[in-house]
Parts: sequence; structure tokens; C-alpha cells
Amino acid sequence: METDGHQLDTRVRVVTPENIAFQYRVAGPFRRLPAYLIDLALRIVVGAATLFGLSFVFGVIGLGNLGLGLWLVLFFFPLTWFYGGVFETFWNGQTPGKRIMRIRVLSVEGQAINASQAVLRNILRVVDALPSFYLLGLVSAAMNDRFQRLGDLACGTMVVCEEPHRLRDVARVNEPEVLRLAAAIPAGFQPDRTLARALAVYVGRRGHFMPSRRVQIARYVGVPLRERLGLPQSTNLDHLLCALYSRAFVTDGEPESTSSLTAEVADGDSPFAAVAAIPVGEAR
Amino acid sequence: MKVSDLLEARREKWRTLEELCGRLEARGRRRMDAPLVSRFAALYRSACADLALADAYQLPQETIRYLHQLVGRAHNQLYRSRLFRLRTWGRQLLVDVPQRLFRDRALRLAFFIFWGVFLLSAALGYSRPEFARHVVGKETMNRVEEMYSKPVDDQNPAFRGGMMGLYIANNAGIGLRCFAMGLLFGIFGLLDTIQNASMLGGIFGHMATTSQSDNFFRFVTAHGPFELTAIVMAAGAGMRMGFSLLDTKGLTRIASLRRAAMESVPTMGAFVVLFMMAALIEAFISPSSLPYAVKFGIFVFSIVTLVFYFVFLGYPREGHRAVG
Repeated sequence: METDGHQLDTRVRVVTPENIAFQYRVAGPFRRLPAYLIDLALRIVVGAATLFGLSFVFGVIGLGNLGLGLWLVLFFFPLTWFYGGVFETFWNGQTPGKRIMRIRVLSVEGQAINASQAVLRNILRVVDALPSFYLLGLVSAAMNDRFQRLGDLACGTMVVCEEPHRLRDVARVNEPEVLRLAAAIPAGFQPDRTLARALAVYVGRRGHFMPSRRVQIARYVGVPLRERLGLPQSTNLDHLLCALYSRAFVTDGEPESTSSLTAEVADGDSPFAAVAAIPVGEAR
Repeated sequence: MKVSDLLEARREKWRTLEELCGRLEARGRRRMDAPLVSRFAALYRSACADLALADAYQLPQETIRYLHQLVGRAHNQLYRSRLFRLRTWGRQLLVDVPQRLFRDRALRLAFFIFWGVFLLSAALGYSRPEFARHVVGKETMNRVEEMYSKPVDDQNPAFRGGMMGLYIANNAGIGLRCFAMGLLFGIFGLLDTIQNASMLGGIFGHMATTSQSDNFFRFVTAHGPFELTAIVMAAGAGMRMGFSLLDTKGLTRIASLRRAAMESVPTMGAFVVLFMMAALIEAFISPSSLPYAVKFGIFVFSIVTLVFYFVFLGYPREGHRAVG
């Protein structure tokens, strides 16, 4: 894990053993509180149900006290102290509440937590709950950039969000004006890297704005580009950016201009080709 | 090659990896055969490579976020948490914990504070009748006196089973709480220990002066050693954590705390086991009508066991250099 020198928001970087850095968003109190409340409700329901069941069963055969004792040992004590620890060990850092809220406990290095960490961070909960309403835990979480409560600090753990992202296709702009404009742009023109990124961000967000506002926003980049490409003044700037975007990101069916990127992509493919040939359906 | 082509080429692999992740999350590693696992690993590495080159490929932000999530998800399945292993736990409890505790200064401090305060409080409770009522509280003291007003009688096994549950849940709970409180620089653990010791000492001292003293000592003899040792261990383990924040031995405070906390987990296991053994004795032997000699025999046996555990198993050995 990188030290936090360049961490501005709630994203933390995790470096995998493959030496790739990927990002997690750490979960703040507003994500963790509902998870805690769900777990609390579950504990109360299970505790009450088993208490009722055991006292009933043992009461019928006249051993009510034994039933109570068994409940204390088998349910009350474990539910009070080891509920979170056991779930987080066997469910890979999640309790039922955390699973519903899509959060997970990881070690600060980004690895899965081990049994000791899972158990201890849940026992140290009593300290975080001091003096009441988890005040100490909140203060501690506010004072570091991974929202760690004291139990997390002691165990070297953090809670991260697991956001579901769907794989979408590259956004395509199919308005006829844009396609016409794209054809008018000189074939040799390729947006450079920074411009391409700006274009992608713009196209990704333009759906949120009215057409007049789009033109306003597009002006900063659009006006210099329009002059450089020698397009008429009447060209719609919004459409111009979209056309350039299509040129950069979407294949138009024409033969490729050879770029170094093509070779790179082809190379990236090969090491895995042999293994990738095994069909997935086999194990079913 | 345009981005849309690249996505088209990769879509298949990413989708497969996603599917394998879903399968692993649902059923666990055991249900997957070897070729599929190696396929999973290969796909994961290839997704890692894609993520690393995302910038060079000029992938859109949306896709990069997707890749971060995909790699994270697969990473979590590939590097899973280690489960409890009984064999390593046995080794920890019988070899590592005593070795570490023998040299643990926090435990020694907890031991001396507990017994010091306990004896002082007992002496005061014995010599001054009003001391125990002030320290322990009038109501509790009256309840204790009433509890031992009649000789311990042989209750039925079901009732004893109930009491055992109560003792385990209550006493181990107190121990775990005392342990956790140690985290706050050891101060709260210290206060907790002093409070426990003065209460218990007060009760012992006071009960010795009353007419119920015979019943009282007959009851507490057998389980006393295990229970009181467990409380001292809990306090000591907690203080170990708290003091690691003050004496960091050259590490950062958080790193020092992390090390001490991880080391304290097996100790925690040891004192919970001790509490359970004490509860077992307290529920089934202490209130029984067995002759006092048997109870005293158990008292001696407990002390010998504890000495064996802490001194014999704990005495520094070659090759086992526990850090103090």
C-alpha cells in the first residue's frame, strides 16, 4: 500500500502481488452504521428466538435452568462477543449486514483479513462504543483517512465499499450531424492523449445538459479546435467535440493507421492465450 | 486499434472472470477444479495487465472504474482469509503464549497491582467493618451475606448447568471488557483492575469477619485460582496493548500497537479458556456437598497447573526467544 501522500479523497490504492495498483473506496460511517444496525437486529432476533425455543423445549421437560444455561453459553456469549469475528473470518471479511450494505473488511495492505484480526477488531468494539453511541470510534475514524475506528487501527484493517460497476460499451454518438461532421474532419487528425481524455469525459457527461449549455461548455476547447481544423463558424461546437471523440474512440470501419498502441495490445494478449483456451463451462 | 475494438476484444475475458468470481463467491474454492482455478488466475493477471495499461489504452473513466472493481473482486477471491487451524492454535496456547507471558512486564504489573490492591483491601475489610460497605456498596454486600447464610447444598444438575452458563457469559464478558479497555493507553485497564481487586478484596476481608465465613470459603476455594488468574491475564494482555502505544520500541505508534494487538490474541484465547474452566468448577464442584478436602485438593491442583503453565512451559528456552 502506498503511503497516503497523494490521497485526496476516500480512494485508497492497493498494490497487488502482481504489482498492479487498483483502488478501493473506503466506507464511511454512513455506510457502516446501517450495516451495524442490520447486524444488531439480526443478533437480537436470533438471540430472542433461541432463548424462546430453548426455554420452551427445556421447560417442557422440567429443566428450564439448564436451557437458560445452554442459551447463555451457546448463543448469548458468542452473539455478544464473537458474532462479527466468526462471520468476518468465514465470509471473507463480511457479516450479513456488511454483505447487504456491500462493504467488506480488508487489511490496510488490501489483503483479506485473518481470523485474529477479525476476532480482535470486533472485541475492541467495546472501546469504540465509549462513552456512548460509538463516539470514540467516530472521533478515531474522523482523524485518519481510512475511516478506521480504534479496533481497526489496532488490527490494521479497514472497511471498503464494493461498488458494482457494469461493463458498458464505449459511448457512441449517433446523431446524423455528428456523423456528417466526423467525415469532414481531415483524416490525418488524431487527438492527442490529453485531449482524448477530455473528450471522453465530455461525451460521458453531456447527456446531463441542455443543448445550449453543452455549447457553452464545449466552447473552451471547441473554439481553438474549430479554427485549427478550418471549419466554418457555424459549426456546432458540441457536435464538433462528439465527432472528434468518435474519431478517437470508435472504429468507423476504415483501415487503421498503424500506431505503436496496436502492437502493444497484441503483445498483451499472447501470454494468456494458452490457458485461456480452456472453456469455462467444463466444471459444471 | 480503437478503444471500441479493444473493449470488444476484452469483453469476453472480463465477463468470464466476472462469472468465475461470482461462482467462487457463491460456492468457495473447494468446488472448483484445477484447470478452472488456473484459468481464473490467468484471467485475473490479464485483467491486472489491462488495468495497468488502461491509461495507455485511453480507456474511458467508466471502464477504468469497472476494471478497478473487477480486479479488486478477483483479488479478494484469490487471496482469501486464513481460517482457524486447530493445530496452530494448540501450539500457540501451549508453547507461544506461556513463553511470551513469562517475560511480559505488563502481566507482572497487572499481577502485582491486582494482588497488592486485593490484599490491602482484604486487610481493610477485615479490620474495619464499614470499609467493605463503602467500597462494594451496601446492597451488594447484603446480597453476598445473604447468599452464603446457609451452607452450600447440593442443587440439582439442571440448576448447576444454568449457573455455569451464567458464570461463563458473565465472567468471560468482564474479562474481555477489561482486556479491551486496556487499549486506551492501559489506563482504563489499570483502573478496571484496581476496581475489581478492591471489590473482591473487600468482600473477602469482610466475609472473613462474619458468621458466614465458613460457607463463603468453602464455596470460593475450588474455582478461585483459575478465575482470579484469568482476570489478571485479561488485564495484563489489555495493558500490553495500551503500553505498546507509549513504548513503541522504535516503530510508529500504530505499527507498535498492531504488533502488540496481534500478539495478544492467543493470550485472549488462553484467558477465555481459563474462565470457562473456572466456571465449570464454580458450577459443579464449588456448590456441591463434596468434603472440603476434595475442594482443597482441586485448589492445590489448580495452582500446580498454573505454575506448570506459566513457569515450566514459560521458562525461556533455546530457540524460543519471545520478545518481552
